[in-house]
Amino acid sequence: MANEAGLDARNAEALLRRFEPVIRFTKGEWFYPMDCEPYVGACSLWVRRPNEDAVCVVPSGELTLERLAQQPEDTTGAVHYLKIPNPEDDEKGRARRRAKRSHKDPDWPKATFRAGSGRLARVGYISRLADALFSLVLLARGRVPGGDVEGARVLYGRFMEKRERFRYHGRVIRQDGWIVCQYWLFYAFNDWRSNFFGANDHEADWEKIFVYLSESEDGEVRPEWVAYAAHEETGDDLRRRWDDPELEKSDGHPVAYVCAGSHATRYSRGEYLTELAFPLPRALAALRRVALRFWYTTLRQYAGENSAEMPYEKFTIPFVDYGRGDGWAVGPGQDREWDPPRLMVDPTPSWVTGYRGLWGLYTRDPFEGEDAPAGPMYDRDKTISREWYDPVGWAGLDKVPTRAEELDVITRRRAQIEERRDLLRSELREKSARLKALGMDAEATRDQSHLSKLHEAETRNIEVLAGEVEAMRAELSENEVLSESLRDHAESLKNGERPPARAHIVHPAGPVSEEETHAGKVAQLWASISIAAVLLALVYIFAYQRQHLISVLVFAIAMFAFIEAGFRRRLTRFIVSLNVALAIVGALVLLKYFYWQIIVLAVLGIGFYILWENLRELRQ
Amino acid sequence: MYRQARVLGVLLLLQVVVIVGIGVWLFASIDWDMVADVSNKPGQVRLHTSDKSVVKELVRAILFTVYFLGPLVLSLLAGLGFVLLRRRGWMLASVAQALIMLACLFYYGASRPWFAYPIIAYSILMILLLNSRSVRAVVHRRPLTPAEARSEITHGE
Repeated sequence: MANEAGLDARNAEALLRRFEPVIRFTKGEWFYPMDCEPYVGACSLWVRRPNEDAVCVVPSGELTLERLAQQPEDTTGAVHYLKIPNPEDDEKGRARRRAKRSHKDPDWPKATFRAGSGRLARVGYISRLADALFSLVLLARGRVPGGDVEGARVLYGRFMEKRERFRYHGRVIRQDGWIVCQYWLFYAFNDWRSNFFGANDHEADWEKIFVYLSESEDGEVRPEWVAYAAHEETGDDLRRRWDDPELEKSDGHPVAYVCAGSHATRYSRGEYLTELAFPLPRALAALRRVALRFWYTTLRQYAGENSAEMPYEKFTIPFVDYGRGDGWAVGPGQDREWDPPRLMVDPTPSWVTGYRGLWGLYTRDPFEGEDAPAGPMYDRDKTISREWYDPVGWAGLDKVPTRAEELDVITRRRAQIEERRDLLRSELREKSARLKALGMDAEATRDQSHLSKLHEAETRNIEVLAGEVEAMRAELSENEVLSESLRDHAESLKNGERPPARAHIVHPAGPVSEEETHAGKVAQLWASISIAAVLLALVYIFAYQRQHLISVLVFAIAMFAFIEAGFRRRLTRFIVSLNVALAIVGALVLLKYFYWQIIVLAVLGIGFYILWENLRELRQ
Repeated sequence: MYRQARVLGVLLLLQVVVIVGIGVWLFASIDWDMVADVSNKPGQVRLHTSDKSVVKELVRAILFTVYFLGPLVLSLLAGLGFVLLRRRGWMLASVAQALIMLACLFYYGASRPWFAYPIIAYSILMILLLNSRSVRAVVHRRPLTPAEARSEITHGE
């Protein structure tokens, strides 16, 4: 938290407004960024202590932001959480009426969202099976009840009927030379699972967009980086440089595409395949590593252009994030403008610092996907979140100086290197002299029985000292090269050249291609029914084809795999996999009948190979 | 660059020759004197024998032909493709190897004839070769641009 300091409210608000984002939503979105105060006012506050039922500590309608900060009845293990009120009957009716009306209203979401190509058409059988299991497990896991979505809709609808307001929560801090404008977006509900076939639902949703500014000596600030939050991602991949072509800007304001329901924020419009990855058990993973090493390294088999992305590398469940940007747009110059922000600076309000609970229903979901999030300052486990105390490090910017600092940093670094080189040279002179002296001592004491112990000690010392001298020379040489590189880099910066804008991005999250987005209808239909068809076929085979169990099973599996490969345009991979499987079976057959002969042949082969190599060496 | 593909083509043709040779041997080992043509219409073949072992050998030879004819044609085309056109035929060769392996494994499950084992061994080697990095790098290379092709012609292979 070096150099961390907030700005006074007036300056903070001016900066926030200057760089506030333009947010483009997907048609069909129900919930938009809102002020958290009316939400808190409508919610009740509950506390659940370990092994006890939840207790309502502040009923609905009596809670305020100030009261929230008091967090009553806090004890070890207690979880505080807000709860959206159940909609009263007449309100339910109102919501229904509004939903009905919505069919004629192109702006109202439910009437206009179309999921498009099925997510399941984009992945294989194992992922589809895992998806089915995930849905089943959800029945047993803690989850947000379906009625809560309606409750949230009623609540949000009530706020919007009073007055359409779009508001963010702003914070500006200085850290490590950067000025960080934080835009915290609060949504009343995350309905990704209910309305957009996503992974989870939860009451309340806090998302964020950070803009990183540098300040010149004359006090002028300029934007250098932005970081958009998407799910649990952190680090270098999150941020984009201001001049990155991927970062769209509207009149100097960064443009963000918010995904429907999940509110994950993206740089480009499109549909994103978000995968929940599950690691393989350790033993299975080790076995797979050994087999792959043998296959690809020992047998030099083809790994494909995207070997790292091979489907069997990870066990995943796919979900689609719809960040189409074809819905409402909120921000400067758009159809809907931001209200003045709610500031979280000068000083930080007590509801931010004092309330460490969840902002919506606590479902006790072991995976936490259905639990509401904590506030901007905290994680669900009540620890302070990194994005709050270290927003620069959160986006991997802690190793990047501001543009104003770049040349100074290089100059300082070169001075450090020069200093170190002087020190190294002087130490080297001294150690080299000592090494030579020790060498002479060793020469002088060699082959003299009464000095043999001394000779051995000298020899050991020589080895140690020679190692040190070698390491110092290597460091000296590296430092020289590094210093030259820094000088060249400083020159290029002075000439206005910039390093590549996207060099820091290792795994860019990009939208899926048009081709994948528009999978054929038959492929989608197949993806939807395939798991059920596989299960039915298995039942049929085990019930009625027991006499030819193995052959029918193999045939069925091959047919399913072939159909799948055809739909997914992976016939080549299918043929390779089939051949590999057949080769393995064939090898086992041969091993069974010609075990000793194969061993003898292998030994003979090795023997002949060695003989050949030796003879070749002789001839050379 | 295309040496690997040519070697692969030659090996595929050799496989065709070997399997055809086995087929010829299977037909040749039938005692045709024990078989009589009893067809009475032109263009129709009806064979008759009273020796059960001959029937067995005949069925084995015909089944061999049925199982291996398709993959052999594919292998022949793939082999010629690799030898003459250098980069064509990988998919044909792969499908052929899959069919040959399936036929051999079927044979292994049914009657376990001696010739299934060497064909399996050969097919395993072919599968490994077809999927080896060097071969795939040649056959799945993107098409050359005209400039690259000219350069390749100038510098030879």
